[in-house]
Amino acid sequence: MTISGVVETDFPEEFVGQMQKSNDVLPKRIDANPQNVDRGLAKLVLTLIDLIRKLLEKQAMRRVEAGSLSEEEIERLGETLMKLENRMEELKQIFGLEDEDLNLNLGPLGDLM
Amino acid sequence: MRLHTYAIIDSSDQVDEPIYGLEGARVYNVPYCDMGAIVSELGAGSIQDIAEQGILAHEDVTEKLMERFTVLPVRFNTIYDGTEGVLAMMQSYYRDFRDNLDRLSNKVEFGIKVIWPSDRIRESIVNARKKSDKKTTVPTDSPNRKFMRDKFEQYRLSEELENRADKFINIMDMFFSKFAAEKKLKKLRTEDLLLDAVYLVEKDKQGDFKEAFEHIKSAHAGFKFLFSGPWPPYNFVDLTKNTDSLEDSPQRDLFDILIQDRELVGTDKI
Repeated sequence: MTISGVVETDFPEEFVGQMQKSNDVLPKRIDANPQNVDRGLAKLVLTLIDLIRKLLEKQAMRRVEAGSLSEEEIERLGETLMKLENRMEELKQIFGLEDEDLNLNLGPLGDLM
Repeated sequence: MRLHTYAIIDSSDQVDEPIYGLEGARVYNVPYCDMGAIVSELGAGSIQDIAEQGILAHEDVTEKLMERFTVLPVRFNTIYDGTEGVLAMMQSYYRDFRDNLDRLSNKVEFGIKVIWPSDRIRESIVNARKKSDKKTTVPTDSPNRKFMRDKFEQYRLSEELENRADKFINIMDMFFSKFAAEKKLKKLRTEDLLLDAVYLVEKDKQGDFKEAFEHIKSAHAGFKFLFSGPWPPYNFVDLTKNTDSLEDSPQRDLFDILIQDRELVGTDKI
């Protein structure tokens, strides 16, 4: 059996690695069963919380970039975002989750983050 | 009788040349109006048992068909219950299939993937920033302000990286698009995978397309390239009708499918 289409590259291992990496970050389903339902649900909830946190952070950065925040507002935002980030880290540790676990495959829309 | 489906072709005639598919079974055409579905009969065993050879056999059949017909490749493991099941699917999708066969006539698909030296580019951005920001450093930041400043630096860095990625992709795509009828591009699927693209190219422009690729490759030292094809147009079959029978038939780059299981194609064979 021969396949006439060719794959040409000097770096096959690296491309295989990259494609696996891009697929690995996209869990097809929330992993919830009686043994690990807590972790499965925590993963879903923390993914959504982290998405909102990152959106907030990005919006804050845009406002910093635009120069529309006062010194006091920057100070307050910094405190809020830092606390949010620290709290997320604690929750991830409690449920044994890594950054790369906090993602969802949205089918044709691609990955959530 | 279970029928494994390989492709929809723009002919209702039987396939003259003997082509063998899964389990060594000869494929044949199930005609419907002016087109047909290429199938082979499956034994009673599970398709999982033959997945490794099966995917390659499936691709082999599709490529042999591609030499003579316009093909709409069907996803591996698409099985119908007898000829009636195939005909019902054909009836249901006839208009979509007709439109796609017309659009994809005489065209093939190529895949291009590019890894860029993201570390080096990130470093150059950071160094450029350091030089320009020297005068504005404020040493008396509170922890909150320092946090904001660090976050802002990360934000600017990722924005700048995205800008540079866009510039590289625009240049490359400008060359490839000259010889392509359609394209689908994905930017930065990972930090390093700058571009993951598929192009639909007319058969008589394959040489020009390859030449454009070689030109881009030689002009980008430090970048790593993967070129694949010609393939059946896996990524360019657009079905507007939505039913369960084809719901799980996402079109994907063959390379993606093959590397799903590394044992299937050892990297030394790529």
